[in-house]
Amino acid sequence: MALKILSVDDSRTIRLIVTRAFKAYDCIICEAANGEEGLAAAAREKPDLVILDVTMPVMDGVTMLGKLKDDPDLKAIPVIMLTAESSQENVLQISRLGVRDYLAKPFKEEQLLEKAGRVVPLVKKAA
Amino acid sequence: MQQSADYRELARHYGLAPVPDSVLRLTQLVARQDSDLEEITQLIDQEPALRKRLLQLANPGAKSEAEYELDTVERAIFQRGIGCALLLAMGTPLAFALAKTFQTMLALKLETLTPQQLKPIDPPCFLGTIAFGGKAAGTVCLRMGASSATLIAAKILGMEPKDLKDLTAISDAVGELLNIITGNFKSNLCDAGLNCRLQPPKVWHTSEAYTPAVPGVGLECLGFRVGQIVLLVDVSVNPWNEE
Repeated sequence: MALKILSVDDSRTIRLIVTRAFKAYDCIICEAANGEEGLAAAAREKPDLVILDVTMPVMDGVTMLGKLKDDPDLKAIPVIMLTAESSQENVLQISRLGVRDYLAKPFKEEQLLEKAGRVVPLVKKAA
Repeated sequence: MQQSADYRELARHYGLAPVPDSVLRLTQLVARQDSDLEEITQLIDQEPALRKRLLQLANPGAKSEAEYELDTVERAIFQRGIGCALLLAMGTPLAFALAKTFQTMLALKLETLTPQQLKPIDPPCFLGTIAFGGKAAGTVCLRMGASSATLIAAKILGMEPKDLKDLTAISDAVGELLNIITGNFKSNLCDAGLNCRLQPPKVWHTSEAYTPAVPGVGLECLGFRVGQIVLLVDVSVNPWNEE
């Protein structure tokens, strides 16, 4: 069965890059443009992995991560942060909330695949 | 100290690459209102890239190094004041982040333009701005011509430039580029003790030409080029904002 990956980022460009990165793999990519939409999508889709930005309008990634980890039904979903903000305070706060990995922008698609592959079993699509 | 050690451990675990120590140290020194000019001078003098840019900033009218009136870091700092070092501390992380973004996501090596090479941008232009507030407050602006914006967006999106007609997609790519460089810049300010928050980026498509500003007190202007792509980045900042 295909893996479900939820990409939460206010930038359509980043969501497109994430979708392109996993194109060769047996994955379904769901998208959300802010933390509020991301929480709703997580509850609805029950993804196998969330790839989450920090600075977003409406609800930021740190707030979404906190709410996700407070929800008994969603707290086990692994999260990889994908953000340009990697200050000490941000990294420490996010790490305390519980993330599986942290990828700083700018990034290469291979880096994202490598980190995702350590968290969920990525399987290439049959040719 | 413990927090710093925890961060270093996490940074190693996540594979996060920090800005160069010299840049972080310079920002820390400039962030203090009672900065020691001698310490700042020594630090800049030891780093060729910082030294070169400082002398450019201190001699805005000079066309070459031979025309520098202030030809040492010491003379530049003592005569132009801490404003020069401040601009250096703000502009260097931005330039570093932009170069890294182009290299990582576009496989392109940006060349830094000297102030004399900065030329007006013909319309139509794309202008992206991000405001930041907190202990440091200011604005970062990214400007480029429509053809540069299209080339960048097409490369990021994996498309042919001629096939990219969607202005919203181009604007979004410009906004994300700005978001990435400003996020890295903000991280450097926060790590130096100048905690601040970023506003979401705003991007405009404008029919007005843009003439590069002259760097001065509280304003740094940087230019970059690779092939037909030309970018201008301005940063205006008040580092000791009262919030």
